[in-house]
Amino acid sequence: MAQALLVALDASNFMLALLLVTLGLVILFGLMNVINMAHGEMFLLGAYAVVLVQRYGGSFWLALALAPLALGVIGLVIEEVVIRHVYHRFIDTILATWGLSISLKQAVIIAFGPTAQQVHNPLPQTVEILGTLYPVYRLFIMAVAVLAAAGTFLLFYQTSLGLVARAVIANRPMAGSLGLNTRRMDRMTFAFGAALAGLAGAVMAPLMSVDPQMGVGFLIPAFLSILVGGTGTLLGTLLGTTLIAGAGTVVSSIWSQITAQIVVFALAIVVIRLFPQGLTGGSQER
Amino acid sequence: MKSAPAGFELTVAVWLLLAACPLTVSEWRISQLSQITSYGIFAMSLAFLWGQTGLLCFGHAIFFGVGAYAMALITKGLLPGVGDSTVTGLLAATLLPGLVALIAGTLVFRGRSLSGAYFAIVTLAAAAIAERAASHWSLIGGFNGLLDVPPLRYGVGANRVELLAPVPVYYVVLGAAGAMYGLLLWLERSPLGTALRAVRDNEQRTSYFGFDVSVYKTLSLALSGGVAGFAGGLFVTQFGFVSPALIGVPLSTEVLIWTALGGREVLLAAFLGALAVRSVESVLSEALGYYWLLALGVLFVASVVIFPRGLLGRLLTLSLPRRMAAPADPGP
Repeated sequence: MAQALLVALDASNFMLALLLVTLGLVILFGLMNVINMAHGEMFLLGAYAVVLVQRYGGSFWLALALAPLALGVIGLVIEEVVIRHVYHRFIDTILATWGLSISLKQAVIIAFGPTAQQVHNPLPQTVEILGTLYPVYRLFIMAVAVLAAAGTFLLFYQTSLGLVARAVIANRPMAGSLGLNTRRMDRMTFAFGAALAGLAGAVMAPLMSVDPQMGVGFLIPAFLSILVGGTGTLLGTLLGTTLIAGAGTVVSSIWSQITAQIVVFALAIVVIRLFPQGLTGGSQER
Repeated sequence: MKSAPAGFELTVAVWLLLAACPLTVSEWRISQLSQITSYGIFAMSLAFLWGQTGLLCFGHAIFFGVGAYAMALITKGLLPGVGDSTVTGLLAATLLPGLVALIAGTLVFRGRSLSGAYFAIVTLAAAAIAERAASHWSLIGGFNGLLDVPPLRYGVGANRVELLAPVPVYYVVLGAAGAMYGLLLWLERSPLGTALRAVRDNEQRTSYFGFDVSVYKTLSLALSGGVAGFAGGLFVTQFGFVSPALIGVPLSTEVLIWTALGGREVLLAAFLGALAVRSVESVLSEALGYYWLLALGVLFVASVVIFPRGLLGRLLTLSLPRRMAAPADPGP
């Protein structure tokens, strides 16, 4: 019983963490049609922002606030210098962001070295849930993920800014002729996606080994979640991350971590093959 | 595509220059160049798939790696009943990845096929799977891989000779590269190649013309996978050692960069892209250290944004086959 509860808690923790990482990716993919291969490295930069702030004596909470801001600015720069030129060449966005991912990772290695960095856990306590001890910080991550997902949803579906963003996505020339500034929306959406990646990286930093390879480990499951769930809605992302993380935790509790990765990736490919629009996507043709 | 004024002359010059390399370059460099030339064949296989058919594959090292492992297992005599000759090895290194690609292509492209971006992500995940599977499969050496893969050999029984001198090895590899170039170029300029480019340029229109698009994509993947596997087989005979690094994401990324930098639509440009990047890397990577990969990444981004056809593609473009050339004079 306690074992099952622990697996369930781990599964929901992994699922919400994955959701947090995937959010920024799905905004760029679903809303801007940009496949951001550098998302893993933006996540990485978020984690290293915490390392940097702590090195200069700042608290973790300050770093948590600064990381999304810093990544938002970096996102603006990347959009202006690179992405802006390849919007109309869909496949080339994959290549350009892939090149960015290599460059950013290498820049991190040059700045911080290839070895893992230590980030101290700001909430080291554990709490008892139905007789099982569970780390408080993991619960904090889950709360941040829920808040970020809900906030993103509200921003895009309940505010006028979100309405403008969705109008630009639905019909760019029409939105432009109605006087909406489409360039500004592109910039802001990209920066928002990058900021979410930074937030995810900063939040996850205390629980992970912060090293230059940490972004790649999340990139593939995050993409598979999006494709499995479907790109059209945030609900699809929720479903995709639940399936990928749930299956991963259950398989790895029975066999090993490696078997879990192989099984989950393979299953995800099968699902994507059978449902090319994702499990929630029906009508939308790409 | 408009041909460069001197595409043909430059192409011939490049091959002659490569053939003349042993006259001036030291033996150690020549053995390096042989290895790099195998990578060049690998890059050509990706250029065929990506440049001609428009399929961006993020897991092309899977085929290279399967070829390399097949070659190593056979020439080390680990597979009973098939012998351990170089020829059998190379044959298996070509056919097995080709078969893997054929099956994968059938699964992925039949019916409502995956769109380009989805194909890229799925192949990336497949490369990650292959890498992890290879490093945990003890039959093929697990994480450590297989050591002491024999070099190229010819003759049978007691008369069997190992080919070790760098210059003859180089000419064998260069000959193989030339043969693969000829094969892929012939395919590219045949009616099949025209159909592949039609699929690349407009899939829907091509299928309305009555072409079965999924068959062409599968065929292209199988051909490209076979050539990539052949390159892998050739590579391990010189490298002497096969490990999961040859099958995974990092090498898949590298071949993508070589091909993109050289020029994905022109076979020889992709080939030279691999040669140039690897040669510069072997000279500069020690001096530049971590900055080398940073520079390569930035150069890659810049070339994607500014030169989508690669740095060499335009120079080495050959003129269209005669049957497709526009009539010189429309006449009265």
